[in-house]
Amino acid sequence: MRPRLLPALVAITALALPALATSATAPADAIKYRKAVMSAMSDHVSAFMLINFGKVEHQAHLLPHARALADLGAQSKVLFPAGTDSGDTDALPLIWQEQERFGKLAADLESASARLRDAVAANDKAGTMAAFKALGESCKGCHDRYRKADD
Amino acid sequence: MRRALRSLTTLLALAIALAGTAARAAEPPDAVERGRYLVAAGGCVTCHTADQPDATPLSGGRALETPFGTFYSPNLTPDEGTGLGGWTDQDLERALREGVAPDGSRYFPAFPYPAYTGLSDEDVAAIGAYLRSLRPVRQAVPEHELPWYLSSRRVIWAWNLAGFRPGRFVPDGSRSPAWNRGAYLVRHLGHCGECHTPRNLLGIPDPRRELAGTPAGPDGGKVPDITADPESGIGRWSADEIVMFLEYGVLPDGDFVGASMGDVITDNTSRLTADDRAAIATYLRSVGRAP
Repeated sequence: MRPRLLPALVAITALALPALATSATAPADAIKYRKAVMSAMSDHVSAFMLINFGKVEHQAHLLPHARALADLGAQSKVLFPAGTDSGDTDALPLIWQEQERFGKLAADLESASARLRDAVAANDKAGTMAAFKALGESCKGCHDRYRKADD
Repeated sequence: MRRALRSLTTLLALAIALAGTAARAAEPPDAVERGRYLVAAGGCVTCHTADQPDATPLSGGRALETPFGTFYSPNLTPDEGTGLGGWTDQDLERALREGVAPDGSRYFPAFPYPAYTGLSDEDVAAIGAYLRSLRPVRQAVPEHELPWYLSSRRVIWAWNLAGFRPGRFVPDGSRSPAWNRGAYLVRHLGHCGECHTPRNLLGIPDPRRELAGTPAGPDGGKVPDITADPESGIGRWSADEIVMFLEYGVLPDGDFVGASMGDVITDNTSRLTADDRAAIATYLRSVGRAP
């Protein structure tokens, strides 16, 4: 009995490890990470605007910023795991009560940021501005409903 | 017989189509288009549309929570029973410029007539033409929920005496046309001060602290100082940054606003012409600074 139990235990532990690793993420760290990614996105937007509106040179940097926005924009849906609705966050609990509506906004962010990257890559000025507007709408739409107002 | 029937049907269809056109064409199309623009610039849609994804614009019912209670915006579509059906130009003018309803009762200053009082005659007429061109929507809205001391509208009479200065906008000849246009948009049509100018205990905006921000805004949150003060206000923003903010809702640090201002960007400032956004920037960069 005993010799058979050990490999079984090992197997179970091995299977359970990744799950344990995931659940071991403290909500506070998940919130910190979310804020870091959000802040990175806003920095890329700020840098993007400075180049796009001709305030600084660095035309060659426009695409890297747009790519970063598309890569990070695609992540937004995994940044709001259950249990991260309280603590040092401006995210409102409504997010977890309206998963479908929230998910649609996250999908909008993903598609708008991808369009922005593609328009910049194609050197399509009008498309870039249209995609930037759509990106703003998705950011703003989410902040309108799901971010706590300043207090 | 069949041909006669067919031509009769055609004729009937034509008559119906024409009748529809005639009803719509009662207002001069230029005034309707101008009115559509002004209604967007005036922020009417934001407050007079319920906060539901399928709400008909301007059919009212949005709850406006203020330190003085919850106000429900009226229906502005031309429905006879629940909207502005039957209103004359004079009715609309009195409402916008004096805050007085057709039956003589007074509106609470949650409706920004203290700002709209400065609107020009042409703008008031165009707003009326546009509102009358809308499809009537039957929608009754809830009564305001107010504390006992506001249960009588006579309170508004006293408030007006202390805080309401009626009068058209008078351009300042020493300033540029852009500055004057910006002042008209910010102070009157866009009524930015309704949220951004601090109020005293009676809820009267302090004219000496125009646009200096307030800790208790419509969302219960803080409303920022948007004077040209470089420390407390937006004096470090370039005119371009103000324009981009009004167009896209993006702050110079790359963040996008939400809450009430997000709605203002979507419904109002993003729909302005580039010239009007630039005029607002010109005006804002002068507020709180010696000329």
